[in-house]
Amino acid sequence: MSVAYLFPGQGSQKPGMLHDLPKHPIITEKFEEASVVLGEDVLALDTSEALSSTRAVQLSLLIHEVAAASLLMSEGATADIVAGHSIGAFAAAVVSGSLRFSDAVAVVELRGRLMQEAYPSGFGMGVIIGLDESRVTLLTDGINTQNTPVFIANLNAQDQITIAGTISAIEQVFTLARSAGAHKTKLLDISVPSHCRLLRSVSDEITRKMKSFILKDSNTLYIGNCRARVLRKAEEIREDLSEGVANPVRWHEATTLMFERGARLFVELGPGDTLTNLAKKAFPDTRCISAVSSGFDSARLLINREREMSNNR
Amino acid sequence: MNESELGISSGRSWTTRRDKKARQLAKVEKLVKGRIIPADRIVEVLENLIVTGDCVALEGNNQKQASFLSKALNNVDPDKVNDLHMIMSSVSRPEHLDIFEKGIARKLDFSYSGAQSLRMAQMIEDGVVKVGSIHTYLELYGRLFIDLTPNIALVAADKADAEGNLYTGPNTEETPTIVEATAFRDGIVIVQVNELVDELPRVDIPGSWVDFIVVADRPYQLEALFTRDPRLISEMHILMAMMTIRGIYERHNVTSLNHGVGFNTAAIELILPTYGESLGLKGKICKNWALNPHPTLIPAIESGWVESVHCFGGEVGMEKYVAARPDVFFTGRDGSLRSNRAMSQVAGQYAVDLFIGSTFQIDADGNSSTVTSGRLAGFGGAPNMGADPHGRRHATDAWLNMITGESQIARGQKLVVQMVETYQNGHAPVFVESLDAIKVGHDAKLPVAPVMIYGDDVTHVVTEEGIAYLYKARSLEERRMALAAVAGVTPIGQQCSVEMTEQLRQDGIVALPEDLHVKRTDAKRSLLAAKSIDDLVKWSDGLYEPPAKFRNW
Repeated sequence: MSVAYLFPGQGSQKPGMLHDLPKHPIITEKFEEASVVLGEDVLALDTSEALSSTRAVQLSLLIHEVAAASLLMSEGATADIVAGHSIGAFAAAVVSGSLRFSDAVAVVELRGRLMQEAYPSGFGMGVIIGLDESRVTLLTDGINTQNTPVFIANLNAQDQITIAGTISAIEQVFTLARSAGAHKTKLLDISVPSHCRLLRSVSDEITRKMKSFILKDSNTLYIGNCRARVLRKAEEIREDLSEGVANPVRWHEATTLMFERGARLFVELGPGDTLTNLAKKAFPDTRCISAVSSGFDSARLLINREREMSNNR
Repeated sequence: MNESELGISSGRSWTTRRDKKARQLAKVEKLVKGRIIPADRIVEVLENLIVTGDCVALEGNNQKQASFLSKALNNVDPDKVNDLHMIMSSVSRPEHLDIFEKGIARKLDFSYSGAQSLRMAQMIEDGVVKVGSIHTYLELYGRLFIDLTPNIALVAADKADAEGNLYTGPNTEETPTIVEATAFRDGIVIVQVNELVDELPRVDIPGSWVDFIVVADRPYQLEALFTRDPRLISEMHILMAMMTIRGIYERHNVTSLNHGVGFNTAAIELILPTYGESLGLKGKICKNWALNPHPTLIPAIESGWVESVHCFGGEVGMEKYVAARPDVFFTGRDGSLRSNRAMSQVAGQYAVDLFIGSTFQIDADGNSSTVTSGRLAGFGGAPNMGADPHGRRHATDAWLNMITGESQIARGQKLVVQMVETYQNGHAPVFVESLDAIKVGHDAKLPVAPVMIYGDDVTHVVTEEGIAYLYKARSLEERRMALAAVAGVTPIGQQCSVEMTEQLRQDGIVALPEDLHVKRTDAKRSLLAAKSIDDLVKWSDGLYEPPAKFRNW
């Protein structure tokens, strides 16, 4: 156990993120496969105008992430364990050998579209830095009502937690959080209250869609979002992907589990470096890189070197 | 009554353990060469020696790991060997828990699982690991001789000779304890060694206690855990260290002690030769230690403060330094350190005046815990040493100093000191209404919450605000107020008013820095006898050889 792949979620997208990947037959093949499933050219999804839609963002991330990982894996730089944050979980499931890429494209297309349509206005997400889960839970429980729904959405680090709900409820939690000692509270540029029960109906539709696919048991350790456990069985992975959008992402635990299972090189496969920075902070004695920003060649070298070193532990 | 009524001739065998061992040994006769297991047959040998359901002690403490044997155990066929009952003082390596996922093992008795604490919590919750108990080290070692005697011991040594004698050297740690419990009740002792030699530097464990030797493909895993870089010591740490020296060590004549591994206790070690010297305390305090070879103790040793140090384990890089200071450290005829975790724990519990360490959370009654929500880390060395041994008889100034009543049969008390900043990392309050350990214990269905040190054993709490002399409190209420008085602006701290603090100061139950003649402005890094790892190397005359990750000059 030594190398972990991390697949980021929404917020990591960048204009040109598909065009910027290396020109390589493996990458082109993934673009073509996705284009066939969607009946449109995926290379039109990553313009800055197109990326104003949630659907285009989620599809671009999935395609970018799977293409990037496929390139590394084709050169032997494989992972021992994988996890994805939110939409990134679909790329992780593909890379672990459980979910077919074409099925992933189809379900992410649905997911993006449904999320885009779910809450037209008044809802969103915000981040609180400086309080842990138990303290934030006390605050959201205090504010959450039928009219002011607000829930924990992502547990990104021990002291970095995002919440989802109505904007006014989020702001009420922020006020309490600051007086409880949070250093920073900030609304995110996301209009959908993801990863909480407000997206139950979206999750139900995804569940229905996921049921029509054939998944396999994973061939690489895959860590789910909902309970931060290693999932091996096709059915467990199907359930985690189906339920993900209506449940918090336990990201800090997922990466901690990777670390405890021996991961010492974290490789982020996506257009940004959010997950790289979270991992660096959480595990200072490990190496954390973003394959895109450090370049695929150096990522491959580091992966091979880490694998040799881990044999000596 | 005749003989049969007494059951004398009931025909029961008194050698079932011995017979079982003989049967198992016979199974591997053809796979081994005398005492030697060929490294490439280790998995097969384990599959033949270990019986499903066996009680297996796997050596792993936080420093030294029998890593070759733990990997081998992880590779046995779960269809052949399963349902093992593991005994491990420290669950550290991934495969220590992988064996539970595979079904090779089922039940676990352990002490510490810091490096696998999330996974441990998850696996207990999921029913994959069935925990017997979480122990302090001494309890676990004790139970090896009572009701957890191993059928198999998998341990690590540096060197072995052809007779099976072992050299464990500076990292002897708990190996002799595990081997003794196993060997003398007909268990099977398997040792991985780094090398097989003709002549050992010294014998740490005699060959007659050992059944098999396997030469590992690479040396056992060894971590440097007690090295604290002086560059990371803050002026806050130094302030607390000054208060501790004046308000506790000097006041109570503390001559024998154990330190935790925090930066605040490292600060104490590093200002003994400067601040301590200026107070004229050399030779009066801090003479005899139960302590790992902390590099930060080098300046105090070199300036003549330290008479003796007995060690739980070794510390990577300290080997040559320790070997060159045999008056201070326990060393063998070969010159190298002999550590012994069980003996040093006994010494640290019963024979020293004081334990001081830090923690993550303290509640209003002084109970403390290093548990973080959702993690199950167990205990390290602290709870044995951070406990007053009620059976103690021998008197020292410090111990007698804790007597507060007038009773004719009053006894002394060990000094158990908690030394913390009121906020951890600047934002999480250390003083809390309720310990996270309670929820963690509840979630894992533990019979008791995993409290590190019980409040009723704590005699002093030191923070950047001052010292609470809890042992002097005359009621539970006064005790709580004293703790609150030094808890700063945490929720607990806000329970003590300014007037109340004044009263406690007048009664001598709380001391602020000025009451101890410690000037906050004097707490400067210039007081540190060594300000970097490089300085420690210089103090040691080049004998201390820090591991690469600490060499930053």
